[in-house]
Amino acid sequence: MAAIVLIVAIAIVVIGYQAYAAKMDKEVIQANPKKATPATLYNDGVDFMPASGSVLFGYQFKSIAALGPIVGPIVAVQWGWLPTFLWLMLGVFFIGWVQDYASAMMAMRNDGLTMGGLAYKFISPRARGILLAFLYFYLLLIMGAFGAVVAGLLAIPVVPVGLFILTLAGVLAGQMTYRWKMDLVMTTVITVLIALIGIWLGTMPWAKDLVNSINSLAGTGPKHILYNTPYGPMTWPQFFWGIVALAFCYLGSVLAIWRFAQPVNYVSFWFVALGLLGSILGVFVAAIFKTTNVAFQIPAYVTWNQPKLGWLWPILFVTVSCGAISGWHSLVSTAGTARQLEKETDALPVGAGAMFTEAILATMALIFAATALTKGNTVLYDANHMYFLKVKAGAIWAYGMSRFLSWIPGISPSMGAAIGAIFLAVMALTVMQLVLRFMRVASAELVGDKIPAFKNPHVGTIVAILFTFLILWTAFWQRIWVLFGGANQLFAGLALLLITIWLANEGKKHGWVFWPMVFMYVTTVTALLVTAWKSFHHMMTANVSAAFAFGDLVAGVIALFLALAAVILAADGLKSLAKARAKAASHAGD
Amino acid sequence: MSLAKVFRENPNRRYIMFGGKGGLGKTTFSAATGYWLAKQGKKVLVFSVDPQASLSDIFQRDIYGKGAVEIMPNLYAQEIDADQHIREYQDEIRQKIRDMYGFEKIPDEIESYIQAASAEPAMEESAIFDQVVDIVVAGGYDYYIYDLVPLGHALYYLSMASVYDQWISKITKLREEMREYEQMAARVSRKKETQEDLILKELQDIRYRISTSSSILTDREKTAFFFVLIPEEMILIDTQKASKLFERYQVPISGYIVNRVIPERVVKSEHAPAYLKNRYEMQKKYLNKIHEMFGNSVLAEIEEMERDITGLEMIERMAHAMFGEETLE
Amino acid sequence: MTEEEKRSFFSKIVRNLQDVIYGMASHDMARQALKTRGSMEHLFILITMGDLLGVPILPPYYSLRLLPYVVPQISTWKRRMLRERDLTDALA
Repeated sequence: MAAIVLIVAIAIVVIGYQAYAAKMDKEVIQANPKKATPATLYNDGVDFMPASGSVLFGYQFKSIAALGPIVGPIVAVQWGWLPTFLWLMLGVFFIGWVQDYASAMMAMRNDGLTMGGLAYKFISPRARGILLAFLYFYLLLIMGAFGAVVAGLLAIPVVPVGLFILTLAGVLAGQMTYRWKMDLVMTTVITVLIALIGIWLGTMPWAKDLVNSINSLAGTGPKHILYNTPYGPMTWPQFFWGIVALAFCYLGSVLAIWRFAQPVNYVSFWFVALGLLGSILGVFVAAIFKTTNVAFQIPAYVTWNQPKLGWLWPILFVTVSCGAISGWHSLVSTAGTARQLEKETDALPVGAGAMFTEAILATMALIFAATALTKGNTVLYDANHMYFLKVKAGAIWAYGMSRFLSWIPGISPSMGAAIGAIFLAVMALTVMQLVLRFMRVASAELVGDKIPAFKNPHVGTIVAILFTFLILWTAFWQRIWVLFGGANQLFAGLALLLITIWLANEGKKHGWVFWPMVFMYVTTVTALLVTAWKSFHHMMTANVSAAFAFGDLVAGVIALFLALAAVILAADGLKSLAKARAKAASHAGD
Repeated sequence: MSLAKVFRENPNRRYIMFGGKGGLGKTTFSAATGYWLAKQGKKVLVFSVDPQASLSDIFQRDIYGKGAVEIMPNLYAQEIDADQHIREYQDEIRQKIRDMYGFEKIPDEIESYIQAASAEPAMEESAIFDQVVDIVVAGGYDYYIYDLVPLGHALYYLSMASVYDQWISKITKLREEMREYEQMAARVSRKKETQEDLILKELQDIRYRISTSSSILTDREKTAFFFVLIPEEMILIDTQKASKLFERYQVPISGYIVNRVIPERVVKSEHAPAYLKNRYEMQKKYLNKIHEMFGNSVLAEIEEMERDITGLEMIERMAHAMFGEETLE
Repeated sequence: MTEEEKRSFFSKIVRNLQDVIYGMASHDMARQALKTRGSMEHLFILITMGDLLGVPILPPYYSLRLLPYVVPQISTWKRRMLRERDLTDALA
């Protein structure tokens, strides 16, 4: 089954790229390889620098593929694997690539403006401000959602020692390239080897004992629990490892980028690439040689109303997040890729190509989840609660990945699980460091004039971390995930809105962007409103611990704010769209 | 101590400068010293940047802006035309830009920058000192006698030189850091070695030039700096102030030469007018003061001559007045 | 396909693959290094050509000597200095 799903996904992706995306690129956008791009025109060696299409494909893919495509489908299987798979495929086919590709194109045709500048230009000055505030909360939700996953992963005994050694290997890589000026290949081989050995060391009994004793320091038995939520307990180890994860991000945000964030991410990349390659091969090895049981453990369709999460529509659509469509990508496309593309025609393989590839990654995650829901005799989901996940998505990914790595000689189940868990942790941490760094810059720019303290990098970082703490420990992670997905998809809707207005301004066909935008808007705003209502409802019920009630309040307020901001932007945006259409119509009449 | 003795005992001091307020005879002393040295077989260049072209006057030849002109065997004189030098320099820059980028015409933006930069007041001083470096670095002479611009300019240049030096070392550091990043990017993208940073080379050369030109003024081993003064109160006060300033900028002062001293024999005669006698007495008072102040550093007292010092004949007389029968050997 | 064509076809694939891997693994590192270098370059122009703004930092005589080397950067430098910067620029 696993191999069949993967092959179907690949087929859909190829058709989507060849038959739909390529056609739009040629006929509607009319990408012109001879037209000068901002990267070549304004090449200033800082913001604008041209790079080749192949390089940018790699760059774009790495920048967009983080935790979203992996965790999203794992959480979403709770409604059944088929709806998840269908949304993944339909989403990427009709909406996902459109956003990634067209936002790059839009930025390129508008002097390399980024989202803020584009909102100002195409909607209104107010739109820019709302967009930036929206962005800050969206990033905060990324921190919360990813942070919760990392905290859960670090609580797994085989993870912390390996991750720590991998981090050291990363710092070493920075020293080797930057200080000691060593050859990159040599540096890579040495440090990746150190990281792998470190992960292996982390699976040793002494390492597990060490982590277990740290975990039990906080208390055992009932004391182990910080407070109860209707979804399960918030535990002290999770609290502790959350602090560790945020301390890691703090270093990434305030240390010189060469010393920490970049080289650690670099070593992580190679580790992730090797893991991914191994497990993709593993899917086929398993299908052919039956090395592991790859039968799907969960029904194709479970239920419409997942009792703890909500309705399939709209909640599943925001839960799947990045594998189908993600607002994050428009940020990468505009600020990163559009300023580097040396040819307009490269936007298709880079923007659309990377997105379609990411859908394959999300399909892998779905396969891992669907096949890995029983571990030995332990069922990782709670059938009484309609297949509700009892463990964090990270643990399921780790276990699923270990099964597909087992064909490689020398990789024990516990080593495989460590690889899977660290794989996910470093992916999350890479994005979190970037997000924290950006939140720091954002707070310095937004309030730095009024409150000068925010100009100090430590202050901005610490404030962002405190907000993250607040979200991490007062809200249940699956709900943060839904909120994050909502904000993420809604940001994609905003990007699609901008693209629609831009196309209308140019007098180009824009229904292919407009309708996906409407769909994303309706779905995500509904999802946010439902979540807000649910949160406030929970808050009011009796027997809710104070911390969780506070978390309800925070989640509800954020959800309402995001929905409100989006509606205002849509109202302003539709006015601009009407104007653009009228203008185009009068031109057509001439 | 005599003037000739300073030359004898310090054969390495090959950059000779006479400083002091305008009109006290610096140019005269420069020319006469050049004459004295040239007569003894040393190849000497006397040069000046004074736009008043006083070397042309003293040698009675138009040498302004004509490069080094031979006045007599071994004695060369040069008067720098700063404006012309700046113009040539601008053209050189323009040519370089055209050559480097194959431009037909200098872009307007760049051209207006060139114009604006050249209108800056600091341009002239830098141009003059830079040319001095060119002359000194080119070599070919045993002695360089530098008819200095008025004191203020020299001091201004000296004070800026250290500031410039610091700036350039900062900029150089910045360039070097940039190079680090460039090499880092090259290493990470596995490109071959990066290009040489031409700007870094230029900066090093500029630094060399600035330090050379300021060291010409301040190197105790190579430089002899003589103060010219006359026995008058105002000049005395000024000289005292200036010498302190010079010390602060570490310009080594080799000695003082008193000019325009009224000879005793003139006032001894019975017919000497009271006016002259009074002036003589006054000078005597200040001469004493000068000796008190500068003691052994007063190297010569030069009599007031009866006519302008122009032409080789008068220069010879002046040289005799300064050095007597003494020689370098 | 002749042997020759085959070889060039495969070497093209290998080259593209190398580019993609570089793009994923280290393009961002290289880009950050170049960005840092680039903003230093602009600082350098500001320092050396700054007397355009009435700040005599380097003697104009010597900044003219450096001028030829920064001619191509001056227009992009000016453009970057004058461009309104947006918060979302800082994201990637």
